[in-house]
Amino acid sequence: MNIEEAVKKYQTFYCLDCGVCTGSCPVSRVQPSFSPRIIVEKALLELGDELLHDRELWSCLTCGRCFERCPTNINFPEFMRALREEAFKAGTTPLLAHHGMLQTIMELQTQGIHQKKTGWAHEAGKVAEKGDTFFFVGCMPYFDVIFRDIGVDSLTTSRQVIKILNAAGIEPVVSDEEACCGHDMLWNGKPEVFQKLAQHNVDLIRRSGAKRVVFNCPEGYYTFKHHYPQYVGELDFELIQFYDMAERLVSEGALKLRNGSGVYTYHDPCRLGRMARIFEGPRNILKQVADSHFVEMERNRENAVCCGTSGWANCSTGSKQIQVERLKEAAATGADTLITACPKCQIHLSCALSNIDLPLQIKDLTTLIAETMEA
Amino acid sequence: MVEMTRELMRLMGIDNERLELQWISSAEGGRFAEIVTSFTDKIKTLGKSPLGVAA
Repeated sequence: MNIEEAVKKYQTFYCLDCGVCTGSCPVSRVQPSFSPRIIVEKALLELGDELLHDRELWSCLTCGRCFERCPTNINFPEFMRALREEAFKAGTTPLLAHHGMLQTIMELQTQGIHQKKTGWAHEAGKVAEKGDTFFFVGCMPYFDVIFRDIGVDSLTTSRQVIKILNAAGIEPVVSDEEACCGHDMLWNGKPEVFQKLAQHNVDLIRRSGAKRVVFNCPEGYYTFKHHYPQYVGELDFELIQFYDMAERLVSEGALKLRNGSGVYTYHDPCRLGRMARIFEGPRNILKQVADSHFVEMERNRENAVCCGTSGWANCSTGSKQIQVERLKEAAATGADTLITACPKCQIHLSCALSNIDLPLQIKDLTTLIAETMEA
Repeated sequence: MVEMTRELMRLMGIDNERLELQWISSAEGGRFAEIVTSFTDKIKTLGKSPLGVAA
């Protein structure tokens, strides 16, 4: 899709030039040269060539705070995604975080490798080869190795999902052959790699005989829900966000929570909140943790601020500034624990927290549920 | 650091034998040739990796 087509598809000609997008943008706040409004204007003024050679296209967090507030409802993140596909073709590439290690893994997954990454699941609880419920684990086995140095043990979250599903009487299918959902490839401007990953996953899930797929990671859930149908056709299995399921189990009394001493605050992930519109479920769960208190940060729900980096690209001093501000905002509520509901938010905020002195700890919501549930 | 790469390779199902890290000084030409030759032989014995064959 060239710029002209993207302008038509996302109707950016409705732009009022009001600047609410730039005023809402967390990147513009710390890096004033980046402006969603200017990007839209340049596309309209046919300054496409200049736009497609600007590496700042990769600084957009695609967090959707601008889209949430845009008076003419311009879907800036999707427009940005279209621009990036063109930019990538024009040779403008993102500055990849972690030496591009994660992108390399994703690309290798389309090259005929046979992964061995479910050993932990068999130790965590009961899992099956075939069955009604497929647990889409996502990148967690890789994150668990790569981010060990900043104290993030991503697989703990996945183990707890299995524990909680087992407690609800479900033995989920986990598969070595599962590939990355493709989210990052899609937002990195590489739709052809995304399509291969998506097709691979859909074929795998169909072969497993699963009727429903449970996602703990908001990116995986949103990508399957929103982008898979566009690229690989309608899905014939149900998609379930783990926190929706957990909230239901808690409200039905099937899952009882206790013993949560402390004060919690909650960071909305952009894919879970603004994109998948799941705002209340995690909060309802947090409010059920007995003997604890839940407090909101000033910027919450639709107004929440991104964790500072997206798609493993352009992690900068600006990202760090966004993260540190967010952590300070969490600490200012009086909370001792910041609850995250996305593996990447947990990684990014933990990275920033490891470099500052703040009386705050970060915990994943799934881990909190598992720690406080009655056996 | 190389241990982390080995762990990632294991997850991807790529034989760990295919990765080797050795530190060789610029004064050790003989040693360099020896290690590269033996590693090349090893890779030839292992044959083609699963990579490059589209899934």
